[in-house]
Amino acid sequence: MKNRLKVLRAERDWSQQDLAGHLGVSRQTINAIETEKYDPSLPLALKIGKLFGLCVEKIFTLDP
Amino acid sequence: MLSVLLHRKRKAAEKALAASKSGIGGAVDAIELTQKVYGVRLLVRGLLWLSIFMIARGLLEMNIASPPMRAAIALLPTPFFAWYLWTWMKGVSEMDELQRRIELEALALAFPLAVVLLMTLGLLDVAIGLSEEDFSIRHVWAMMPVLYYFSLWRAKRRYE
Repeated sequence: MKNRLKVLRAERDWSQQDLAGHLGVSRQTINAIETEKYDPSLPLALKIGKLFGLCVEKIFTLDP
Repeated sequence: MLSVLLHRKRKAAEKALAASKSGIGGAVDAIELTQKVYGVRLLVRGLLWLSIFMIARGLLEMNIASPPMRAAIALLPTPFFAWYLWTWMKGVSEMDELQRRIELEALALAFPLAVVLLMTLGLLDVAIGLSEEDFSIRHVWAMMPVLYYFSLWRAKRRYE
């Protein structure tokens, strides 16, 4: 699954640590999601969507 | 006058942002601190359980005749193991979802590896008869933490 998390985070000038703090997860989790090594659970994906004010589909997309 | 007001507002905004950032950093620091504390607690309580186990083993090899006393000594490490297990489970419940997945993957690899080791040694024992001086089935338990930490290291590397 592809995602735009890194871009969205950069737009807000947040570090991985800042984003991890907003979402209540570890920095390692944010890094693994951004590098597409880990797909977040649905609750975490929804939390990310809510934080950035976007639908989940605008952040996460399935690989073609 | 207006510039002074704007300057004050900007300063207040900067202060609020810094405070908010420190709050966010604090949350992440708290997660990392929890991981460290959990790791140290797990190690200390695991070593305590192992020490009590070794002491009980040593006492059972001495000539204590009374069966109730022998049974009491044999049961002595159990509460310490329960404490160790509780620490482990509490630590897992405080992890975030990726850390739980890493833990699960580590166990999912370590358990079959331990079974394979046990079955191989079992077959070797049937085939050639392993003695206690050999790396026999009696030593499999010592290999289990080694297999677990190897699997944990491997699972962590996958998500780095």
